[in-house]
This record gives sequence, C-alpha cells and structure tokens, in this order.
Amino acid sequence: MSAAAECRPDARDKAAGVTRYAADLPVPGGTLEAVLVRSPLPHAEIVGVASGQARAAAGVVAVVTAGDLPPGLAGRRVRDMPLLGRGVVRFAGEPVAAVLARSRTAAESAAALVDVEYRELPAVCDPVAALGPDSPRVHEAPWGYPGAVVAAGSGPNLQSEVTDGDPAAVARALAGAATVVTATYRTPAGHQGYLEPQAWVAFPPERGITRLWGTTKSPYRLRDQIAACLGLRPETLRVEPAPLGGDFGGKGGVCDAALCVALARVAGRPVRIVLRSDEDLTATDARHPAVIRVRIGCDADGRLAALDFDAIFDGGAYAAAKPVPSVNLHGALDCALGYRLPCYALRSRVAYTNTVPKGHMRSPGAPQAVFAVESALDELAAAAGISALELRRRNLLTAGEPDGYGHCWPEARGRETLDAAVAAARRLPGAAPPGVARGTGVAVYARPTPTPGPTSLSLAPLPGGRLEVGVPVPETGTGSHAMIGRRLAAELRVDPSRIVVRQMATTELPGDPGVGASRVTAGLSRAAAYLAEAWRASAQDGPVLVTVPAAAEPPALSYCAQVAQVAVDRETGQVTILELVSAVDVAAIVNARAHQMQIDGGAVMGIGFACIEDLREDDGQVLASNFGEFRIPAATDVPALRTVLVDGGKGVGPANVKAVGELTNVPVAAAVANAVADATGVRVRQLPITAERVYWAIRHRGRP
Amino acid sequence: MAADTRFVAPTTVVEALGALRADGALAVGGGTAVGLLLGHSLIDPRVLVWLGRIPALRRITADGAGLRIGAAVTLRELSRHPAVRSALAALATSAALAGNPRIRSVATVGGALAHADPRQDLPPALLALGAVVEITGQDRSRTVPVDGLATGVMETVLQPGELITAVRIPVLPGLRSVYLRFTPGSTADYPTVAAAASARRDARGRLLSVTLSLGAVGPTVLAVPEAAALAGERTPSAASVAAVADAAARRARPVATRLGSAAYVRAMAAVWARRALTACLARDLVGSPS
Amino acid sequence: MTIIRFGLNGEPAQVHAPVTASLLDVIRGLGLTGAKVGCRIGVCGVCTVLVDGLPVSSCLYLAHCANGADIWTAEGIARDKPEVVEAFVRCEGMQCGICTPGQVVAAVAARAELGRAADDTQLREYLIGNLCRCTGYATIIEAAKAACDGR
Repeated sequence: MSAAAECRPDARDKAAGVTRYAADLPVPGGTLEAVLVRSPLPHAEIVGVASGQARAAAGVVAVVTAGDLPPGLAGRRVRDMPLLGRGVVRFAGEPVAAVLARSRTAAESAAALVDVEYRELPAVCDPVAALGPDSPRVHEAPWGYPGAVVAAGSGPNLQSEVTDGDPAAVARALAGAATVVTATYRTPAGHQGYLEPQAWVAFPPERGITRLWGTTKSPYRLRDQIAACLGLRPETLRVEPAPLGGDFGGKGGVCDAALCVALARVAGRPVRIVLRSDEDLTATDARHPAVIRVRIGCDADGRLAALDFDAIFDGGAYAAAKPVPSVNLHGALDCALGYRLPCYALRSRVAYTNTVPKGHMRSPGAPQAVFAVESALDELAAAAGISALELRRRNLLTAGEPDGYGHCWPEARGRETLDAAVAAARRLPGAAPPGVARGTGVAVYARPTPTPGPTSLSLAPLPGGRLEVGVPVPETGTGSHAMIGRRLAAELRVDPSRIVVRQMATTELPGDPGVGASRVTAGLSRAAAYLAEAWRASAQDGPVLVTVPAAAEPPALSYCAQVAQVAVDRETGQVTILELVSAVDVAAIVNARAHQMQIDGGAVMGIGFACIEDLREDDGQVLASNFGEFRIPAATDVPALRTVLVDGGKGVGPANVKAVGELTNVPVAAAVANAVADATGVRVRQLPITAERVYWAIRHRGRP
Repeated sequence: MAADTRFVAPTTVVEALGALRADGALAVGGGTAVGLLLGHSLIDPRVLVWLGRIPALRRITADGAGLRIGAAVTLRELSRHPAVRSALAALATSAALAGNPRIRSVATVGGALAHADPRQDLPPALLALGAVVEITGQDRSRTVPVDGLATGVMETVLQPGELITAVRIPVLPGLRSVYLRFTPGSTADYPTVAAAASARRDARGRLLSVTLSLGAVGPTVLAVPEAAALAGERTPSAASVAAVADAAARRARPVATRLGSAAYVRAMAAVWARRALTACLARDLVGSPS
Repeated sequence: MTIIRFGLNGEPAQVHAPVTASLLDVIRGLGLTGAKVGCRIGVCGVCTVLVDGLPVSSCLYLAHCANGADIWTAEGIARDKPEVVEAFVRCEGMQCGICTPGQVVAAVAARAELGRAADDTQLREYLIGNLCRCTGYATIIEAAKAACDGR
C-alpha cells in the first residue's frame, strides 16, 4: 500500500481548516438562532416565565416554553426528559425557555431578559442519599415513563438496578477465605471533554421531510428517538450527521436535537442551536460519579475466592441520556470479567439526583469499576502477603476456562498481556532524589470486542473510474471513514485512491446502530466484505446497497495491562507519572497509526481521569464550568508512554480485529493508585489522585 | 452592548488619559481580560481605549539604576528581553510561564497588574525584585510598590482616569533570583502556590539582601519581609530558611479553591518558600543567576 | 460599528465590525471557519490565528485591535506554507480535527519562535495551550517537529 494511501483522506482538509463541522455549516438566510434559558436551581417549581421584555427586544422572533411544544418526553431508552422544563426543573442547567432571534447576539441579549420565577424545592444531590427512604423525590413515579426499567413502588430515586451472581455463595466463600478486604472507592463527575460543543440545525418540514444536521454519532437511533418523542414517523426525519469534533460517548443525546426540530416546526423557519462550551460542560450527559464498595477474598494460595461488587452511580436528573436496555453501565456489570472467580455477586444501582443527567463516556462504567476492583486486588495482595503481580498471574483467566459469569472464552490472553507490560517497563536510572518516593503499579482490564452488528452500506460508480461508498455513521475522529475506504479497496483489490467515502443521511441508507461500544471497525470492515461481494455480483454500472445482519460469531475478549511508574514528592503529595506502559492484546490491525493513536489518546484520557479531571459537582451545581476549570491533559501533562502490542490474538469479523477505542483509558487510575501505594504505603481511594489527597493520606497514615 | 461603543487607539499617554476621562471608558492592554469579559457580557464599556499603539508604553529602557518597563510591553517581549533574562531571572521565568504563548503574545505587564488576579505569575516575581508601579493620572503621577497596587481579588488602588504607565525595577550587581510555580494537576493550570526569591551578594559572596514573595496564597501577592533577616550570613542555615518559610505560611491568607484547601495551600506556602529560598541561596552556580 | 482593514491570508480585507466584536467573530463572519468557537476564554486553542506573526486567541482578541494587522489563519497557511499542512497530513497529527487548524497555526508560530532545533519538550511547552482530546499529542508534536525541521 502506498504511503500516500496510508494518509487519512480527510487529513488535508482538516489541517487546512476546510472541513466543516456542524457549527461551520452555512445556513439559509432567515435561519433563527436559538439560545436556551436555563434553571439556576437544582430543583424547583416553575411558577411563571415572564418573556414580554425578551419578546420585545430587537431581533427576537419568539420565546418558546414547554407549553408551546408537543408534550412528548425525550430519551434514548427511558423517555423521561421534557424538551423544556414543564412545571418543574430537576437540575441546575435544565432549559426552561428558548429564545429565537435573527442573530446570536440578539438571542443572547434577550435570553438575559427572560424572567423565570421559581419556587425552590428540596434537592437531593448525592446518589447514596437519593436512594435513602426520606430523600426528596426527583420524579414521583419514574416507573411510569416509556422505557422505564424500574417497577412501580421500587425504592426511591432509582433509574436502574441490576443484580447478578450469587450473594449467598459469596458470603460463604468470603467467610471461609484466608484473606478478605473490604474497601469503598469514589470517582467524580467527569465529561467527555470534546472540544467541539454540540450544535444542531433543524428545518421545518418540506414536502413531508424534516431535515436535521448536527453533532450526532448515532443518526438512526437519534431519528427514531426524536420520532418517538415528537410523534413523527421516522422515515420523515432526515438526519445528516456532520463530522464530529470528538465524541467519546457524549454525542448520542436526543433532547437538544429534538428541541431543535420542535422549534423549527413551531417557528416555521430553520433554527440553529449551538451550545456554548460552558453549557456543554455543565448541562449535557456527563460521566456518572460512582461510589463502589468491593469485598474480595482469596485463599491461602492467593486464589480468588469471591468478589462482591456494590456500585451506586449518580445518574442525574433524567435517565434519558443512557441508551442501553438495562439503563445501567456495562463496565460495572462486567466487573467479574477477566479473572477466574469461583463466585461473584454484583449490584449496580443508578440513582436519580437533582444534578445534570449522566450519560456514556468511553467504556461507560468501566473506568469507575476497574479503578475499584484493580485497586482492591492490590489491597488484597498486600493483606495476603503476596505481590500484586503474582496475585494477578495466579488468577487471570486462560483460554477455555469459564469466567466469573460461567462463560468460556476461546481465547483469554490476560497473563501474556500482563507479562508483556511488566517486561516492557523500563528500569528507571538512578535513585529517587531525597524526599521523593518511587513506586510501580499494575492494572488489568478485560473487555469484549462485540460481535459485529447490523449495518448498511452503498456503493456507486463515479466518473473517472472511482467508486463512492456511502456510510451511515459519521467520522468521529477515529478514522472510521478512512478505514472503511481501505477495507473496501482491499476487498475489491483496487488502489485506495479510487475509493471516495461519503456520509449519507438517514434517508439514504437503511440503518446502523451508530458509533459506540467499539463496534465500528469490526462492523464496518465486515460490511465492506458484503458490499464488495454484492458489487462483484452486480453489473457495476449503478448503485448497490447492502443491508448487513448482525454476525453470528461470538465476541472476542481483549486485555489491556498497564504498568505505571510514579514518583511521589512526599512534601507536597505531587504524583509524577514517570512512565506508563500499555500492553494491548491484538489480532489484526487495520491501520497501525490510527490504532496507536487510540492507545495513546486513551492512555492520556485515562491519566486525566486518574489525576486531573473533576467536574466538581457541589450541591447540584457544576463548579468546573469551562475548560479553564475542568482541566484536561495538555501536551506537557503526558508522561513517557510505551506501547506493547501482544500479537497473535483472534479477533472478530473477516478483518480479524479486536477493538481498541475504549481500552487504554480504563486501567490507568488503578495502575497509578497502586503505584502511589507502592511508593508511599498510602492508598488513595478517591479520584482524581491529586497532590492534596496524597499529602493528607501520607500525613494521616496510621490514623483511622 | 450599546451599538455606540467607541474604540480609540491613542498614540500618546496624554491622549490616552484624555480618552479615559470619558464616562464608561476602559483601558485595554492586550485585551485578553477585556475580550473575555466582553465576550461573556460581563462588562458594558462606552469607550475602549487601546494602549497598544503608544510607543512610550511599549519600550523597555535602562534608566540609571534599573529598567523601566512600559506598561504595554507584552509578556513575550518581557521574557525575551536580554537585560531581563540576564539580570532579572525570576521576572523572565514568570513572564515565560504565564498563561500560554497566545496569551503572552498580547498580554501586557500593565494590563496584568491592573487585572490583579492573585494567581498571576508576574506579581510575586516583580515584588521579590523590588519593582514599583508607576501610575499616571490627568494631573499627577504616583508610584506604589507592587504589593501596594492590589487591594483584593481583582481590585486595585487605581482611580478612575488613572493608568499604569510603567514598572520600574532596580538592576543591581550580584543579584540572583528564582521563580517557582507549583502546578500539581495540569501544568497548564494556574499555580496552586508560586514563590519568588532574590539574593544579592557582594564580591566576597556576603549576602547583602534576601527577598521572598508568594503568589496564589491570598487575595493579593504576599511579601515576606522576614526573608531580609537572612542577609548578613554567608550561608544561612536550614533552620533560618525554615523559619522564614514558616513566617511565609503564617502570613498567607488562603481561601479554599479548586486548587487546594486553605490548610493545604498554607502548608505549600511554607514548602515552596523554602524551596525558592534554597534555590536562590545555593552557591553551586557561579556567576550566572538561576 | 466602524470599518476595520487588515491583511487576511495575504489579501487585503475590510469589514464593518462592532467595537465589541472579537477577531474570531470577524474571521468566521468572512466565511473562514477554520478558527473554531471553543472555550471562549483563551485556554483551548481552537481559535488560534496569527496576528503580525504571533499566535493569538482570536476569541479574546478585539477585532478593532486588528486594524492594520497582518492576519493568517490555517486556510491561508495551507496555501502559503503548505509544507506545514503536509507535515500534519504525513504525521497524521489529528483525529477528529477540531483542534487541528489551531495546531497548524501554532506550529507555524513555534517554527518562528523556536527554530529548526526545537525539541520535544520545547514544542510541548509551546503547544501547552492547544488542547487535544483525541490523539494523546504524540503525532501532533511529531508534525510540529517536522514543520520546524522543514522536513
């Protein structure tokens, strides 16, 4: 393959500032700009909205409130969120009114003139408290919402509860275990931190079709969710995703998109909503904070006896941002994966609180759950007098043996991956300076690469002998469009320069579940094979469309093992990561550079989660409301990163791939916490691992 | 935002002062603070008076005993100036680390001082180096020490119609200075604590003066006069240095912010005061300041 | 509102701009959308442009301060210094691309400021204010280094 072909086809346009993202798209003259008026209070009755002054302001066309919109509720699975606050607001930041004006400036000025009267209600902003009997109710009867997964009369403020495993067996096993540790771990609210705020342009229906442009990673699901919310037929909605300026799970939301469609219908003109960066950080689907209690035990030989995992996630004021059927977080539900576990019990509850609705972020639930379990494993090792490494070696799953859930994986390469990571860790030269303690920590994460799912693709001839492949999902940055072009070229045995990739609207292809769950590479590369076959079977002089069913093959298991070496300044508590090794269990790699960037980008995001990032929710307010306060890693915050690819794995699909996009961001926090413990003897159980937390932990060591 | 807001770009200080007499007039240096406040509709000035075109404010000149830095000199220019780099290391360092390269391209010394954010990098370095701030009004000029300028968070002694026109810093032989900033989270963030120290020695290596100042430990930049007591010894003992560091911690008036609790910031004040003094007093580097 | 005149990517430009407008507003109003609206507080770098050769947060830069200035955006750099854009293409110094125009502009500024021998540490410090959420920065630094080296 030529060097030129190795370059992403969208690279030049992106570097030259030519690529148009949602907020860059030219809009027709007459498009109205919408600015949202948001509640400052976490829980309040909306007594009244006085919009006269705003409506009279220059350039303002309308001020819309819930009463002007259809009553449908929005949501990706549970439809519990109104488009604009209706009678009550349930989180600080919930939109209550939309100002439509001829210019952005006019809309913003007028929004300041909208006077909303609230009667404050008691708020509950802590998920543990929310589940308690006397807590204020965020929703009176959440089981009544379409898609709700909680039963009538279930405990207060419950969005979802999943229990699994055998608590009685676990209790017996722990009672008989040689060593047991119990510990509680806490992680804060975070945000996907993409640099492109969400943006939407919706058109009023024309010849029965409503067009919507915007920042969606799952255009078909969005279409269906908006249709359900507004009572439209899905085929009348034409969703055209723009290339995304980062996603990481945060651009699957439906509420603002549905609102934009509804506003365009009310106004009879195109409407554009472009969120400000601070609105995006404070009012769109942030990462679930977690409180996770782990009990774990082993026998005298260091073999795991049982795992008891109890997680409470803060789901925020609406469950609307969560897409999966359980309305829970798979990272928590998968907590018993990867190791040989005779028995486990897990309970994962997601609570309603009066805080910003929480959604999905890069392996949802896993960064939190793995921080807890991998930290607990180290604590167990220390209590049992075994090395943390050895405890893992003895218990990592091997091929063909059942995991904690009783599932046998044809391939389970945890030990090789861990050993590779450890072997690659550099012996750091010299001694630590006085007052600085060095330490090493490991953590392991096992993640399924899902079976390739259903999708659709099209292929059409272009003048000059080129071919245009139509794809149903947007380019979120991973290089998926480049990947599909290359795979198709390989399948058709043509030069990649002959393939042009085109983003299709939802009316042009049957469907795809959307970007997420690390399914794109496997799914689309498999679809490329179907498409190539259909093309070869056709006359090759006109468009060909394939609908690809989900594969029948089983998922594959991939491991990521990380070794963190840190230096801790005892006087200040500052933790410096000297080196982070990521060993990744791989099969075939479609594009080496894109694959490596997922590894590096994931590791850096993991470092952010481990050491830097905190949205700082406090009493229902998000205090870190801009990128100056919600810091994400800068170029100078990246330590030496090393990658080891453990070749020879068995992937999924004809491309034989293992997913890598939601892998290396997960074990970092535990690896760092374990390294800090190794260096200082103190255990930090709350993220982020700030200098101050380490400082107090060192000073309070030995005290209860 | 009234459509009739005016923008003026005077070329002399006298013109600028005249323009600032207008109701609702606001001086603009690099515009980073004003641009931010305007963009978020937090201010509504009638006149913006841009100082970037006044040559007299853009110069760094040597005058007798030191440097005179025009108020519209940018942080980038300051950090690159040969005299600043060779004689005023703490200032060069603080100007080179403040913000990011884009901020430093345009942010001015005068603008930074007028903004009076306690987390800024420049004030502790300027204070430790004995800088004074020249303020010019319609009919008078006055000079205040750096720690006499800010009276609180984003509050200064500047009266309406007054302009910071220069910062004057002595340049003395045998002076060594350091600036340290503690950024335990993201290195791109504001410092949790900042410390600047200077030490001047005579030809025989005897300490003539020692200064210490801290940033981000209270509502304004903090001078630690106890550091002066270290002069007179050739090699101040670790205990003496620690005593000054403790004094610094006692003087600090931190409030809890996302960068740290008050107790932690106070503890770090002592640690970084000690580290700055130790670095400054070290005699391993002969001749050149750190 | 008055007229401001400036050089934009090597060509003269003039616009009516309110006094309170930012340079970012003006540039995007002229149809050049390479500079993005991001954090709007000068921290993230997606709005980076060159003003008289120096990198600036255009979101905070008052348009009227640009009167008479020489402004370059990524679009202009792509024509005038295509080797910088090629460095980013070759090194694949991007993923989603939202920060990339700003990185390209910053790389041009880094080249002028640091020269050919700019090392990894210097480049990371120079690009400290150009955030990226996707790549983990390695390929961006590689691209910036290639741009400085003139490779």
